Amino acid sequence: MTGRWHFRDHEAERRLFNRRVLLASSAIFLLLAILVAKLVDLQVVQYEYFSARSDGNRLHVQYVPPQRGVIYDRSGTLLADNLPVYNLTIVPEEVNDLAVTLDYLSGLVELSDSDLETFENQLRRSRVPYSSVPLRYVLTEEEKYRVAVNGHRMPGVRMEPQLMRHYPFDSLTAHSVGYVSHIDQQELDALDETEFENYGGTTHIGKTGVERTYEHLLHGQVGYETVEKNNRGRVMRVLASTEAIAGNDIALHLDHRLQIAAEAALGDYRGAVVAIEPETGGILAMVSKPAFNPNLFVTGISSRDYDPLVNDTVNTPLFDRSISPYPPGSTIKPFLGLAGLQLGLVDYEFTIDDPGYFQLPGVSYRWNNYTMRTAIGGGHGITDLRKAIYQSSDTFFYDLGHRMGIDAMHDFMSLFGFGGNLALDIAYARSGVLPSRDWKLETRGEPWYPGDTINSSIGQGYMWATPLQLATAASMIANEGRVVRPRMLKSVGGEPYRFEEEFSAADVVLEDPDYWRYMRDAMTMVVHRPYSNVFRDYGTAYEAIARADPDMNYKIAGKTGTAQVVGISQSIRSSTEIRVSEQNKDHALFIAFAPAGHPRIEPRIALAVFVENGEHGSTVAGPVAKKVTDAWLLDILQLDLTVELEPEPAPEQDPLQLNPSEVAALDE
Amino acid sequence: MNSRDYVQVSGAPQMRPTVRAMRWLAAVKIDFSLLVLVLSLCCFGLAALYSASDGDSGLIRRQAFIVGLGVIAMLTVAQFDMRLVRRATMYVYLGGLALLGLVLWIGVEANGARSWLDLPGLPSFQPSELMKIVVPAVLAGYLSSRPLPPRLWHIIVAGVLVLIPTALIVLQNDMGTAMLVAMAGFFVLLLAGMSLKLVVAGGLLVLLASPLWYVFFALEHQKNRILSFINPYTDPAGAGYNIIQSQIAIGSGGVYGKGFGEGDQSRLDFIPESNTDFIFAVIAEEFGFAGALVLIGLYALLLARGLLIAVNAHNMFARLLAGGIVLIVFFNVYVNMAMVVGLLPVIGLPLPLISRGGTAIVALFVGFGLLMSIDAHSRRSQSPRD
Repeated sequence: MTGRWHFRDHEAERRLFNRRVLLASSAIFLLLAILVAKLVDLQVVQYEYFSARSDGNRLHVQYVPPQRGVIYDRSGTLLADNLPVYNLTIVPEEVNDLAVTLDYLSGLVELSDSDLETFENQLRRSRVPYSSVPLRYVLTEEEKYRVAVNGHRMPGVRMEPQLMRHYPFDSLTAHSVGYVSHIDQQELDALDETEFENYGGTTHIGKTGVERTYEHLLHGQVGYETVEKNNRGRVMRVLASTEAIAGNDIALHLDHRLQIAAEAALGDYRGAVVAIEPETGGILAMVSKPAFNPNLFVTGISSRDYDPLVNDTVNTPLFDRSISPYPPGSTIKPFLGLAGLQLGLVDYEFTIDDPGYFQLPGVSYRWNNYTMRTAIGGGHGITDLRKAIYQSSDTFFYDLGHRMGIDAMHDFMSLFGFGGNLALDIAYARSGVLPSRDWKLETRGEPWYPGDTINSSIGQGYMWATPLQLATAASMIANEGRVVRPRMLKSVGGEPYRFEEEFSAADVVLEDPDYWRYMRDAMTMVVHRPYSNVFRDYGTAYEAIARADPDMNYKIAGKTGTAQVVGISQSIRSSTEIRVSEQNKDHALFIAFAPAGHPRIEPRIALAVFVENGEHGSTVAGPVAKKVTDAWLLDILQLDLTVELEPEPAPEQDPLQLNPSEVAALDE
Repeated sequence: MNSRDYVQVSGAPQMRPTVRAMRWLAAVKIDFSLLVLVLSLCCFGLAALYSASDGDSGLIRRQAFIVGLGVIAMLTVAQFDMRLVRRATMYVYLGGLALLGLVLWIGVEANGARSWLDLPGLPSFQPSELMKIVVPAVLAGYLSSRPLPPRLWHIIVAGVLVLIPTALIVLQNDMGTAMLVAMAGFFVLLLAGMSLKLVVAGGLLVLLASPLWYVFFALEHQKNRILSFINPYTDPAGAGYNIIQSQIAIGSGGVYGKGFGEGDQSRLDFIPESNTDFIFAVIAEEFGFAGALVLIGLYALLLARGLLIAVNAHNMFARLLAGGIVLIVFFNVYVNMAMVVGLLPVIGLPLPLISRGGTAIVALFVGFGLLMSIDAHSRRSQSPRD
């Protein structure tokens, strides 16, 4: 057959074509059968598996963090609130390149190293896929705008509203109420499994103060929702949810007005004021000054703000002076005096002739009346316990302490909470030092020397107490020995809170209850005993308190104290040449309760004032205390305190013709 | 035309309008079974697209408009005389090549392939899609005028006719369409009776060459597609993601499906390219195994009807053209479905008549129009009146 002229067999061609169509049809049938078999495998055989996979794709359980309980003061004013803010968060699964995104974001919002560090720490935590990780808290208006405008360039970056802790009184409650801040790894590690679960959606935890103590009440119970998310992690709908249970709202005994008054009363001094309601043990005010703005810590404090707080070694604003120990000085004398009465070492008639110094038998060393570093010199002359209190005679207590011995002193003082922590809910309060033989052997490796007892008798040497302890002890004198342990928490969710440990401390029971009245009167004289023609026979705080306010219609029972900061030798100390540098000046202290000896009204406030480097308990710490009691009794409680007071005798001229204020400043 | 003239001559005025309409319809060349099947598939497609696009009415309107356009094109082409079609193929082919050349010159890129032409006064379209029909037509024309089975020389010429457009489409970086065009040519050769030994030898050659291709020529994403086909879970978030999510959608559909608009995988955007390449996963998820079977059944009926037309065609050109069109439609459908269920590696091909598309759908309708024309022509040649 030659190419062009061949005979075309159309039938044969047609048969060939039909065979090929048959072949193709068979192939089609076979291939479709394979496809159907594959569908059977996927949709029938493996249906359960793929159905679960599909649900796993879309269903996510996410935490619903509970709303933190708010904190009120006793008057119902908010001390800690929750305010809505916007945070910058990142869903890592949605971000293409995290480093690039972070770099880009740093051009839009301020990102500190600590922001990035916290963020990366949280990335390492086990977390729910497609859940957002916070990067920056509380965006400013301008930052919000910038992120919103550029949001489309940054998949996975979001702005999420959150309720953020806020302290409306700023630094006023920094130490007492404390603050919340980001949970750190250490805190997370400390949580047990249930707690860890309960903190699932929570970013903040109480770090100090009430926020820390009552974390368990304030936090609440985490909730869950099962949500359906799309491929980009966006929540499309909520399928099921377990509501979060909000934390309890709590109220404190604290009164913001008294807190403000106490803070203002300290003026420019560094120091602390702790005020307690004797009847309830409620802490009415707890101020440590200077303080800091706790709101900075909630949002993550920048190093620019943090460094000055840490590096200020003089003002140490982060340091809570109200619960830190200092030498209590003469403020312990009322307790020591009660010990003397109780132990029969002194009675109402007992006197010494105070030469201005004390010597141990057979020892030439003289323990001077610290405050007698005047040109006048000398002592208080014939001195009973009462005068030893209102004139603050060291010699009297050197003698009493020496005869009492450290063991008896330790046992009696500890009843008032010295060397321990009577506070029910300030666990982190320091316990100071109530020295004993065991204590000294343990900590110093030395035996107890008789001289140590002499120093301890006037609240120096090894004796250390916190303003909180001093206020507590003062409230016990106000209560005539009844222990009402101090506490911050007043009520939870409107229900008065009952402490289990309420009655765990023993009351102080004295041989003769009249000892309480006696000591109260002596302490009242500290404030109210006026000048007379008798040499050194006025109250050490008379000049600064009672004389400064002739219209005062109630009485304060108090005790001044001056605590030595550095051991300046007594010869140098009495020299007028030496100029003591600011930080070496003595601390000024004052304990008080009021009203004292009122016919109708029990004492309503007991307090301790500590003024760092304030030099004199009478002139500096006393007026602070007076302002606080005034604020509480007159301005806040608005008590009608008027009683028919006996007209006070007109102050007579001091026989030495000294300016009375000068005398008061020198003698305590 | 002839029949209408006849009706008028034989005293139409007395006839009732319905009878007249029926006569007229009988004169117009329409294959109703083909029309019904094609329209059923298009409706299926519109429903699936509605669900896959989350009820994007703009998209649905556009798709419906294109289907309407396609139906008009199909019915118009159905009226063409086969002899005319046969004479025109070479010119259409050359015109198609010119358009492909134009695409390389002024084409517009979309989705990585530069295959669109945006000519003034015309909607933008893909000349490459038209070649799926033009290439089998020109091969059918060439081979049918030569004795069958084709000789080696004819096979080589035919191969050149196929390779020119295929190469031009490869240059556009549209591998899926290039493969379809090449396969369309191959199917016509196969139907024309090309030696099966040659086919098997060629197949073996491809099989042997593929490792070389993989090692020396395959691009990174092509390698990934093959690797993820072998085991999608080596890179579940990357190359394997599409196939994994697609299988989850299909498998979780079960026997009866999750219901229209209720496909979680589709609704929540876990199915990639749900409007185009992976639309079968949406159907299988929402309508289940039952729905997938209905869809496959519709296609099978369409193919069967097409093959019947091919077998009954009155000359070899018509047979080869009809058979080529049917096989290329099957190949396109099968490759897409097999890819979506995981039987084949991911190849960027849409599901004919179902996926969102423009030129591809119109080209398919033109193909079905040719089938109708062939059918009408063969019936007329058998009818004693003609």
